[in-house]
Amino acid sequence: MTNKSLKFNLLLLFFALFFSANLSAEVSDAVGKQLFKNNCASCHNKDMKSDMTGPALGGVRERWEGREEVLYAWIRNSQAVISEGDEYAVNLFNKWNKSVMTAFPTLTDDEVESLLVYIDCMYDGSCDPKAKALAAAGGGAVGAKAEQTSNTPMYLVLLLILGILAVVMMRIVSNLNYMSQVREGNAPVRRATLTEMLTSRGVIGFVLFALIVLGGYTTINNAIDLNRQQGYAPDQPIKFSHATHAGMQKIDCQYCHDGARRSKHSVIPAANTCMNCHKAIEKGSKYGTAELTKIFASIGYNPDDNTYIKDYESMSNEDISKIYKKWIEDNYKADNAEASDKEIAKAVTEQWDGIVSSLTTDVKESVAGPIPWVRIHNLPDHAYFSHQQHVTVGKVECQTCHGPVEEMDVAYQHAPLSMGWCINCHRKTEVQFVGNEYYESYKKYHEEIKAGTRDKVTVEEIGGLECQKCHY
Amino acid sequence: MKNKNQVWIGTADKNNEEEFEQLSKEEFISLPIVEALSDEEVVESTGGNRRDFLKLMGFSLGAATIAAGCETPVRHAIPYVTKPDAIVPGVATYYASSFVNGGDYAAVLVKTREGRPIKIEGNSMSTVTKGGTGAKGQALVLSLYDSNRLKEPAAISANEVQGLSWEDLDKQIRAKLGANDQIRIVTHTEMSPTTKRVFEAFAAKYPNTKVVTYDPISCSALLEANQADFGQAVVPNYHFNKAKVIVSFAADFLGTWISAEEYSVDYVKNRVIKNAESKMSRHIQVESGMSVTGSNADNRILIRPSEMGGAIALLASELGVSTSAPKINDKATQAIKKIARELQANRGNSLVISGSNNLLEQRLVNAINNALGNYGSSITFDRPSYQRQGIDKNIRTLVKEMNAGSVDALLVWNANPAFDIPEADKFKTGAAKVGLKVSFAESLNETAAICDYVAPAHHNLEKWGDVEPKRNSFSIIQPTIAPLYNTRQGEESLLKWAGNSMSYYDFLKKSWEEEIFPMQSEYMTFQAFWDNSVHDGVLDLPSSSTASAYGGAPSGSVKNPSSSELEADFYEMIGMGSGQYANNPWLQEMPDPVMRTVWGNYLAVPIKWDGINRFEGLRGTGSKTVRGIADIVEFSSGSVSDKFSVVPQFGQTPGTVSIGLGYGRTEVGKVGQGIGINVFPCLGIDANGNTEYFATDINVGEVVDYNEEFGCVQYHHTYGVTGEHDGKENMNLDEVALSRLLVDGYQGSLTDRTVLFQDNLANVGDLMEKIKEKRAFANHLNDKTLYPFEEYSEKFYSQGHHWGMHIDMNACFGCAACTVACMAENNIPVVGNKEVSRHHEMTWLRIDRYYYGDAENPNVAYMPMMCQHCDNAPCENVCPVNATNHSSEGLNQMAYNRCIGTRYCANNCPYKVRRFNWLDYTSADLFGVNQNSINGEDPAYYTDNIVRMVLNPDVTVRSRGVIEKCSLCAQRLQQGKLAAKAEGRKLREEDVKTACQTACPTGAITFGDRNDSNGSLSKAIKNPLVYRALEEINVQSSIFYQAKVNNRSEALDA
Repeated sequence: MTNKSLKFNLLLLFFALFFSANLSAEVSDAVGKQLFKNNCASCHNKDMKSDMTGPALGGVRERWEGREEVLYAWIRNSQAVISEGDEYAVNLFNKWNKSVMTAFPTLTDDEVESLLVYIDCMYDGSCDPKAKALAAAGGGAVGAKAEQTSNTPMYLVLLLILGILAVVMMRIVSNLNYMSQVREGNAPVRRATLTEMLTSRGVIGFVLFALIVLGGYTTINNAIDLNRQQGYAPDQPIKFSHATHAGMQKIDCQYCHDGARRSKHSVIPAANTCMNCHKAIEKGSKYGTAELTKIFASIGYNPDDNTYIKDYESMSNEDISKIYKKWIEDNYKADNAEASDKEIAKAVTEQWDGIVSSLTTDVKESVAGPIPWVRIHNLPDHAYFSHQQHVTVGKVECQTCHGPVEEMDVAYQHAPLSMGWCINCHRKTEVQFVGNEYYESYKKYHEEIKAGTRDKVTVEEIGGLECQKCHY
Repeated sequence: MKNKNQVWIGTADKNNEEEFEQLSKEEFISLPIVEALSDEEVVESTGGNRRDFLKLMGFSLGAATIAAGCETPVRHAIPYVTKPDAIVPGVATYYASSFVNGGDYAAVLVKTREGRPIKIEGNSMSTVTKGGTGAKGQALVLSLYDSNRLKEPAAISANEVQGLSWEDLDKQIRAKLGANDQIRIVTHTEMSPTTKRVFEAFAAKYPNTKVVTYDPISCSALLEANQADFGQAVVPNYHFNKAKVIVSFAADFLGTWISAEEYSVDYVKNRVIKNAESKMSRHIQVESGMSVTGSNADNRILIRPSEMGGAIALLASELGVSTSAPKINDKATQAIKKIARELQANRGNSLVISGSNNLLEQRLVNAINNALGNYGSSITFDRPSYQRQGIDKNIRTLVKEMNAGSVDALLVWNANPAFDIPEADKFKTGAAKVGLKVSFAESLNETAAICDYVAPAHHNLEKWGDVEPKRNSFSIIQPTIAPLYNTRQGEESLLKWAGNSMSYYDFLKKSWEEEIFPMQSEYMTFQAFWDNSVHDGVLDLPSSSTASAYGGAPSGSVKNPSSSELEADFYEMIGMGSGQYANNPWLQEMPDPVMRTVWGNYLAVPIKWDGINRFEGLRGTGSKTVRGIADIVEFSSGSVSDKFSVVPQFGQTPGTVSIGLGYGRTEVGKVGQGIGINVFPCLGIDANGNTEYFATDINVGEVVDYNEEFGCVQYHHTYGVTGEHDGKENMNLDEVALSRLLVDGYQGSLTDRTVLFQDNLANVGDLMEKIKEKRAFANHLNDKTLYPFEEYSEKFYSQGHHWGMHIDMNACFGCAACTVACMAENNIPVVGNKEVSRHHEMTWLRIDRYYYGDAENPNVAYMPMMCQHCDNAPCENVCPVNATNHSSEGLNQMAYNRCIGTRYCANNCPYKVRRFNWLDYTSADLFGVNQNSINGEDPAYYTDNIVRMVLNPDVTVRSRGVIEKCSLCAQRLQQGKLAAKAEGRKLREEDVKTACQTACPTGAITFGDRNDSNGSLSKAIKNPLVYRALEEINVQSSIFYQAKVNNRSEALDA
């Protein structure tokens, strides 16, 4: 990508941002998208077509046809509508096992309308292409990497030619020396051989020097990389696949990693978050009961009678094993009708052993209790990083740093997480400057933007490279 | 000897000692580690010398490389199983609660992270403490993680602690408690109405139960006097804001007396100078030792402790109360007569209080206030304080009963009578005759050690409870962490033994439903009332006076002053209480505001002046103070005879010495064990059974030894102090240096440095003029700058934020709450006495104490000093690795991981506020803390894993070999900015508050954005009394000080 086109793209991005920010007070699917993501996505499916914890929202307007006001009231506070005895509302409530929808009393009419616009457009696939373009540009501009071609072969060839040249020159010099000495009449018996020349002090000295320089260079370079874990993809206690959840099922990242928008940590979801869906989906498509039972065994859910086990934490591993071995055995039998007893017993033992080894550690003997996930992204203790700053304020896509998570069967560290990598991004990334009142204190920049002498403000320009932004 | 422009910090300074001048210019004095390394003794004991050291270093480097080359360890990320709603990992949650310890109280908010309390903030909804906390409140979180706490209930016999289960303990105790046994519950002031109901419930089951309440630092006489004169044994409501003249007879109401934070807030209202016309109250302190309150007073009248009665009686008789006044010293007599006239001129707008524990003296004080018409204006009984309830007679009776063998069971609730009463020995002998002794102590103390059982109670932050610090002002204690150990709520234990199996939480709720809910009309349902009370943490219900009219007229005459050569005054130290806080290292390492000492109690002796320019402490002490060496003298009083380190103290009445109480604990835990000397046995008991906090039968001997590890920070990190040159004019050190340049080529620097501005209220207009001139001159000097400051300013600071801070020295009383808050917020290590004596204290915020004015009776100014965040910072230019540099927001940043420890920055810092980690105080290093043993120390305090739970996870824990200093709470600024950004709004002032600012009860510290022209900081720094320290050296510091103004009456001095 040439420099010119990059600039053009960034300009485009800027206008798109400016445009979208200006829209924030109006009704648009972009506003709806943000609202949906923040408030609804944890229970309602983003595709609007299938049920999740809450029902699919596609076609909601048709279902409430002619009763817009009630629908608005329902969205703001469903319990109020139910208590007023609205027949449709009560039926819906009963149908969904009386699970209570969170009230959002602060939503304005425009915001509810935006939500409905977004639901409609997601349902029929007619969402504002600008919003999509924006998302693509946001990911693309940062993700774009100049193609790097390797120059190593060329250097090697050059080195070889220079080496041969050096040997030839040495030979010539030695011949000239010999000849001049012959002319002066004090010629030695013979000329120095090639071996003698190559083992002379000067050559050995030079080679040693070169080795030290090269060795030092390599050592330092490798030392800098110590403790960096780019590409680190450890085995996890549960073979959880982001490709299945984020890719295939299109579950929003922040549904599970709900700290990302409001905390420094993105938060590994608690087992009860898993249970929101896996109460219904009790067997996996790939591993059957082998992996999913680990979640049940962690939290103490009995899939046989769909209840949580009382006083689960105080149960012994043996007692726990009875419950889940039965579950595994029943399922195995149902799936493999002609399996022999031996096969069944083997499968049960294997799966149970897997559960025990996954859920126990040196310091935790009981199967019950939290799942000891292996941490992939490790920042040093003296670096402060806040997800909220990047996700909520900077509106950075998760994939920018974490890579194509939705394609990862086994999660791995995409970025080097080195300081240079952070700094480079801060140099390039534009601040979401316009539309956030906080940045109004940067008066000079705003004036420059107005005057047209400045087209963007980068993180660097508001102090994003200063030590104490990350180290304190 | 009077010169109001002279400012000094101690005798060495006053004496203009060359050594002091030299030392005061050095940042790192006599690098003791280097010394130690070549010290033969150390070499022998550690089996190494410099060569070995290099070998070891080589080995550890190699080891580090190999270790680092191995595979990175697997780190786990453990999520919740079921995530609580209130917790988002990484986000702090605040709970309203209360800090209570005996009579000490503060309404607080507890900051918790992932379920761990890590910081205390004041609850500004409280009408009692009004958002103030004090040093003890700030230090509460650390005591939770005290590894010395009892881990389980136990039976104790012959110094052996045998762990028990709660069932066994309950069974054994219930078996031993007879229905008609004479049972005594002994406690310090108990402010909880519900706990008292528990006592009642217990007494209902065991009818011969009596509750014995006493306070080691007692207000017994005050309570008894109000009982006699007003029919109520309470502490009335003092309104310091309504008093134009305040006379305090040794009541340390800004430091330790009853409810100091509350009084400070009221008191400061009449002390703030807004313009040349501002008025101030006049505060006169009549006392012998320099207390925190005395140091803030306008006038101090020096009396001996035994003259207290005479002084009060004199004032009373001058105001027309009929009493006979024995003769006291002439100066005080003259002054008190003038005070009487000034008080009369301010009838109804004055306030006279006394810290005396003598019934007649307190009744005379009541008579004085009555004569002045102060009741109903500056003193009211509408919402009296319950913060002191102890009557000394009760504990006297208890000790007698115990010795007579008529007590069957003793339950020690929250008290330590085997240590904190004058007759502790008798208590111990009596205790041997008591059949059953049970302590509820959180950790083993002197009393618990002689009990039969300990039923350890929860820590303040683990328990439920309520408090009624003032009548009908309630406060809730709610748990902020699950109990760390197998402890049990004390009340629950009592209920169990009384056969009630109710949990205390239910009992508390029921008690509130029955007692407090009916008193209000705002909430219809109890649940709503309860939820809101717990949420707010405080609740005020209407209260009106129930006191009867003044029915005084005390008879009898006060005691004659003693004629002994020396008298001793025993006082409560600001961080130590009566010794309850001895195991809290933050409070141990917090310098005493006046003496500036840490880790111990010292003998404060008066200073003699030879009439020319030589100052000397009593018995010729103080000559080596400047080198960090204290003289040790023999002190004896009654049964106590011990060796004390001496601090020569300006403002100490001649013929008196002062010693702090609460030290010398013998059974307290590894921090406080054996620190200081116990002087409780020196206290006397008067005819009414009240404790006397002075002694007249004392003897102070000659210097017998020297304390080489003197933990006094007075002469550490001094800068720009003034001295006297050859007995001639006053000059500051730099002038001295400059004059020597002519004589012996000594390198000097700029003259006439700005450190402290102070003056009398009468001259405040002149002072403003003087500051204006000085600042104009400084700016004139600064025009010749090498720095392109204007350019920086235009380029960086003109937009976004430009942080700054304003400190009003008239509102700073030196209480040190900010120092402790800073330690808590910023993970500042505790280093211990030995390290402090080597100038290695790590506190980022120190409170410089200056004396000024009359050398024999000086005034005091407190100047909180931390990194000044200079925009032209001298430290930044000299760092070879650019580890310290400047931000576009005007912050002087410190990147610890870049620092290689050259310490050039600290040497170049004009304010001496940078601290170097000489040792691995926090065990942050890769290879553990064993390095500490290089000088034979114990492992550093923060190496304990339980203690480390107190660390703030947002702040880096620094390792050995790096410099650190105040960051203006960078983590809080980032947090505040992020909150504003995330909500898409402008930054508000409440978003960014530093830890020292929130801890300050009087609001002396204002922090904010200088670019916010309407902000309170911008307004505050426009005050004509505002200046910057060392402004003339053009460092463009960001901290603005407001000059100290006193309202000293010259007439009283004459």
